[in-house]
Parts: sequence; structure tokens; C-alpha cells
Amino acid sequence: MAMTCREIWREVSNYIDDTISPEIREEMERHLAQCRHCTAIVDGVHNVIVLVADGRTFALPAGFSSRLQERLRREL
Amino acid sequence: MTAVASVQSGVLLDGDSPTDRGDRPNNSHPNDKNRSTVTSKTTDPTPQEMALVRRILAGEKELYYDLIAPYERAVYVSALAIVRNPADAEDCAQDAFLKAFRHLEAFRGESRFGSWLVRIVLNEAKMKLRKLRPGLYESLDETAGEDSDYIPRDLGDWRAIPSESLELKEVRAVLVQAVEDLPEIYREVFVLRDVQGMNVADTAQLLDVSEAVVKTRLLRARLRMRDMVAPVLKNSSALSRQFFKKGKNPWQ
Repeated sequence: MAMTCREIWREVSNYIDDTISPEIREEMERHLAQCRHCTAIVDGVHNVIVLVADGRTFALPAGFSSRLQERLRREL
Repeated sequence: MTAVASVQSGVLLDGDSPTDRGDRPNNSHPNDKNRSTVTSKTTDPTPQEMALVRRILAGEKELYYDLIAPYERAVYVSALAIVRNPADAEDCAQDAFLKAFRHLEAFRGESRFGSWLVRIVLNEAKMKLRKLRPGLYESLDETAGEDSDYIPRDLGDWRAIPSESLELKEVRAVLVQAVEDLPEIYREVFVLRDVQGMNVADTAQLLDVSEAVVKTRLLRARLRMRDMVAPVLKNSSALSRQFFKKGKNPWQ
């Protein structure tokens, strides 16, 4: 039986992480080929994951390393 | 930008005609190339790390920074996930590195060195948060605050954000703020897994929850992140000015 939108949403993570069976993936692909809303969700989540993993998004504050080394020198 | 071009740039398009889509993410976690040093090795600690540990314990404490340097960002970001303030996160990270040094003899090489450090900093950060904001501290109970069933918003199309857009402070700020706005139980899973690239098993072990709980929280965190970020970034005037000067914005 074809997957519903709600069933697709529950599998978005597993789909992106590739932790679903080939059969479920095939079902999802069939649904996504026809459903603009679910397509937007899958690709939006994927965009988010790619962007937050970029080291520039959560970069160390300027001077972090030198302040850490200074404290280590003082307290070790 | 075509779908193929967007995949090459690392960010997928949201608004293509579904029938045009032939290149969905279908091989692995999209961030495999962006793994942090916490999980970049298949077996931890490395022989080099264990050798450094032995030398430091034997008295060469000046080598300690060499041992921890690869994990600076992972430790800082883990602290930030809990305390949500850069200055407090930096304090926590420094405290955690000092604590790790004082307990280095307890590290027996049975876990990844990066995971060991992250566990220490998570504890430090949670203790600090209790002191700083006792009234605001969220329950660590596994089920507290869980959505029963999160329904993603119908936001229409969110076209690709060029990866170069991360050069803009505004874009980074939107992403950082959205992570901060996640409830703690989702935020810590999201940061460990998607910001730092830890695998599900390590994330579960660090947070003392089951892998099933990690997966459930991760799904809800990711959907919430998409719902928070997409409406802001798709209407970003700064993005439009910076990257789409010529012609129509791709999401119009």
C-alpha cells in the first residue's frame, strides 16, 4: 500500500541517513515524485543538516585557542 | 541553479519539480565529508593519542594541548548546546579541559578520546546551567517535553541556499538561533549528531538514552529546524542582495 505523507515524515531522518530498507526507499521515492510538500520537507531537512555541519556555522570564538592555552599554562 | 549543480555545491534544491529530481540523498549521511574530529576515526583513541596520554601522565604536561587541540570545537559546541551562551560555553570548555587533565589517568582508552572529553564537558555544562539558571533548567527525564507527533509546516518551496551564504553572518546567526531555540532534549541530540557528526550509537551512549530515543529526537529536531530556518532564509534580503544580484531570485 502506498505510504501516506505522515508515514513519509516519520522516515525523513532514516531516508536522509540511509538507514531504511531498499523497499521503503522505493516507496518513498514513488511518493516524493508526486508530493511537493514532502519533497520540500525532505530537501529542507537535508539543507539544514548540510548547513549546520559546516564548520563556519558553529565556529570557535576568536581567540579561543590562545585563551585556552594561557589558562592551561597558568593552571596545569 | 540546477539540481545537479546544487548537489555538487552540497545543498539540495527544495523547489524543483518533483519529476526532475534524480539525485536525492540516497547514499549516506549528507555530512560524511564534514565529520568532526570526534568521529573521524574508526577506532579511538589512536596510538598517537595513547602515546601522548602516557607521556603527559609521566610528567610532560606541556604536551596536553597537542592532545586536546583537535577537539576544541567539539567540546566548545557541546557546551554551547547546553548553556546557549558563547562566554559561558567557553568557560565550560576550559573547565572541562582542565578537569580532563586532572582525571587523565582515568582514561583507559576504552572509548574514543573525543567522546570522553564531550561527556566531561556535557556534565560541566549541565552543572553550570543549574547554577546559572536553576529555574530554567529543563528536566533530563527521557520523555519530558517530547512531542507526541510533530507535524511539519507546509512552507511551500525553500530553494537552495548557496553554501557560500555561510560567509554571511546573518545566515550563520539564523542557524545558531534556531539551534538555541530547540528544546534541550532535541538540541543536545541535534548538536552531537548533526553539528558534530557523531553516530547514533555514540550519541545514545553519551546521553544515556537508547538509540531509538536518539533517532526519535533527531527526527523531531531536524523537522523543527527546517520549520524555523526555511521561512527566514528563503525571505532573506541579505541573501538576495549578496548572491542573486543578477536576475530573479531562485525562490521566486
